[in-house]
Amino acid sequence: MDKPQLIEHLHESVNYTVYDTKWVPLSAKFVVLGSKANGHGIMDIYELNQDKLVKVKSVEKKVAFKCGTFGAASLRNRHMAIGDFEGRLQVLDMEQPDLPVYNVKAHSGIINTIDAIGGTQIDCGAPEIVTGSRDGAVKVWDIRQGQAPVVDMSPPPQMGDGVNQSSARRDCWAVAFGNTYNAEERIVAAGYDNGDLKIFDLRSLSVRWEATMKNGICGLEFDRRDIPMNKLAVTTLEGGLLVYDMRTQHPTKGFSYVEERNAGRSVGTNGVISGPKATVWIVRHLPQNRDIFLTGGGTGSIRLWKYEYPDRRVVDDSDGNKLGVAGALNMVSAATLSSQPVHCFDWHPDKLGLAVCGAFDQSVRVLITTKLNTY
Amino acid sequence: MENDNKKSLLEKYNIPLHHLDFAYVEKCTNGREMEKIVQILRSGQEGFYPDLLRCSEEKLKELKPDSRLFRYEEQIKHSNVLDKNELKPILDWTEAVKSKDSALNELKKSKQKLDLPSVRKLSKIDLEKQKTETSKPAAKATSPPKAKIKDDRIKSTDYRKWDKYDPDEEILRMDLDEERSKELAEQKVSTHRKLATEDELKNEKASLYERLQTQLKNLSQMEREQLAERHRLKGNECFKAKEYDNAIEEYNCAILYDPENAVHAYNNRAVSHIKLKKYFSAISDCQACLQLDPKNVKAHLRMADALNADGKQLESLSMYKNVLELEPDNVTAKKSVEKLTSLLGEVAPASATRLMIEEIDPPELKTSESKKQLAKTASAPPPKDYDLAELIKPNRMVKSKLVSAAEALGNKFQAPKGGAPQKPPLPPNPQESILRLPQDNINTNNKLLIQEI
Repeated sequence: MDKPQLIEHLHESVNYTVYDTKWVPLSAKFVVLGSKANGHGIMDIYELNQDKLVKVKSVEKKVAFKCGTFGAASLRNRHMAIGDFEGRLQVLDMEQPDLPVYNVKAHSGIINTIDAIGGTQIDCGAPEIVTGSRDGAVKVWDIRQGQAPVVDMSPPPQMGDGVNQSSARRDCWAVAFGNTYNAEERIVAAGYDNGDLKIFDLRSLSVRWEATMKNGICGLEFDRRDIPMNKLAVTTLEGGLLVYDMRTQHPTKGFSYVEERNAGRSVGTNGVISGPKATVWIVRHLPQNRDIFLTGGGTGSIRLWKYEYPDRRVVDDSDGNKLGVAGALNMVSAATLSSQPVHCFDWHPDKLGLAVCGAFDQSVRVLITTKLNTY
Repeated sequence: MENDNKKSLLEKYNIPLHHLDFAYVEKCTNGREMEKIVQILRSGQEGFYPDLLRCSEEKLKELKPDSRLFRYEEQIKHSNVLDKNELKPILDWTEAVKSKDSALNELKKSKQKLDLPSVRKLSKIDLEKQKTETSKPAAKATSPPKAKIKDDRIKSTDYRKWDKYDPDEEILRMDLDEERSKELAEQKVSTHRKLATEDELKNEKASLYERLQTQLKNLSQMEREQLAERHRLKGNECFKAKEYDNAIEEYNCAILYDPENAVHAYNNRAVSHIKLKKYFSAISDCQACLQLDPKNVKAHLRMADALNADGKQLESLSMYKNVLELEPDNVTAKKSVEKLTSLLGEVAPASATRLMIEEIDPPELKTSESKKQLAKTASAPPPKDYDLAELIKPNRMVKSKLVSAAEALGNKFQAPKGGAPQKPPLPPNPQESILRLPQDNINTNNKLLIQEI
């Protein structure tokens, strides 16, 4: 077998619902965020110790934690930005978690999703955090700014405040930073429960592009945040996986994409993937190879994909406009991890093939993927 | 089958029953049909035939190796299936990274004085407003012409107006409208793109590197190493995607961040330069790499490749020999040495004879001299006065046939490069030029002979 193989290295059962798992950069530690049965938030820090997991620290707070990121943290100050169930955004120092570095009531509803950038990029724009919430708003934060978001992308007030008349407001399920290759350029992609995909340009402060998927968007990620935007992977309910080529925007057709409708299908007979469709919860690109990514599905499976570029990425259409050409998707490997959805996954930024993931079966797993270097 | 109102797969796919047969499967060349046959056999609706299924799966693998039907998923394996050796790197790594981790925690105590970019001005992207804005221009563009058309419409009975109607003018107007709409669409896209001249970009880059340099002084060695490594990996990704310019950018950063450990970055940048046919830069990268690590085989090899491609066969040959000294089993180096020696060997005798003949008795052998001179400077006008000094010069330096031949070649290719060393011109394919030499000789030979006669 020369294919990459997904292998479970360590398994830890916990007594709370896991919502997010993230590696602490440049360490053998990872953070698990979750919600206890009584609705309290919990943050556990584990460390790999030879072939065991050791719990280093456990912090409990009043409100359940939903999502977290280290994207805006420098290597020196590895602070984690965390969004919780009541719409509060906190930036915590792992050493003194009781005293938040930054704390703001960011949204009126739960913060579903968070992404951050600028922590380790030098001279590439300010460190910023973006949050997406049930109240329909997407907000960009700079922790030096104080209590107001630096960029606010809220739906207009006549569409309800997200609590009382929430019907007209869309629920934002996924956000992602991208295109940050110099001090000015920056893009935020946001996915909503009705399948809307919006690309916000933070330089020109405008909606650069919009599209609508057939189903709600659960996961979004640019293959790299810190290069001229290259590819954007989108996962949806009902098993959709789309990869957009973001290099070329056609004036009318927008960005080209390749779609894999069966990415979320469950396993049928004989281990062949042919069962009913299930949500694809998350997509994460390998930090060491942007053309390989992993999706976590509602059937408790993780699947490794490879994007193949076409021979020519740009063609001229009959009007002389440039039109992008999407590549092809190959499934490299797949494994069933759990009977419950795998909804959070994080590749280690510094060690190829090492990953941590959480599933709704109240457990955290450390995974090893072999032979990734051959791709 | 079991269910009357539900079609069996056989009916659904419209495949005759006799196709489910070893003989047919053997002959089948249609990947899609094969997929269907496999699906029918797997479903077991027509009965269970393990051998036939295996046979058709093999056939399908042949016809369509990336078929969806081969997407298997297994229960995840535990790490005890892994070899001890495979797991060891991870365990070693956890130990190594722990020391880095604690070092970072130490660093945390010392304040970092990075001048971060300033905070963005508070702003809002209004979703609703945006929508109307984007839809408005479209509405504006479509509605006025509509109204116009209504006004301008000429009744079929209004002959006086029809007399004034000029179809050419109308066509011109339509063309203009179309052009305008196209321009609008283009503008929409181009507002997102910054247009900058090359000079501006260069200046920008230089100042960026300068700023980076000052910022980097505030970082510890470990942080620099980490960041440099990330840039190098990003460069490798770009290289894989054949974006060589971007790859060079990333390697530039990697080298800037951590110049002491930039062996790999230099090496990789050299290859990117070779891919872009910037051999001069590639060679200097290899030299930089060899300064850091004099025994780096890859750098030697790449330098040899670059020299070869740049037309400096002799230097390339000696470089390949260096590689073989470091790594006697290197296949590419061996092959290249063979190739180059045979190549240079062919040229050598000709040049050697020329020099000998020339010195013994120049006036008598005008033809052979002129032929050499022509071969050497192809663009030179047909010689009337033979400048012998030039020809005698190399003669004294000649020690072996090989060397003189290579030098002759090397000089030839180097000559036009003097003006613009940054951008060496596309080197002529060495083989081609060598093949052409004798031909030229023959032609000029004949001409000259005729002239003399």
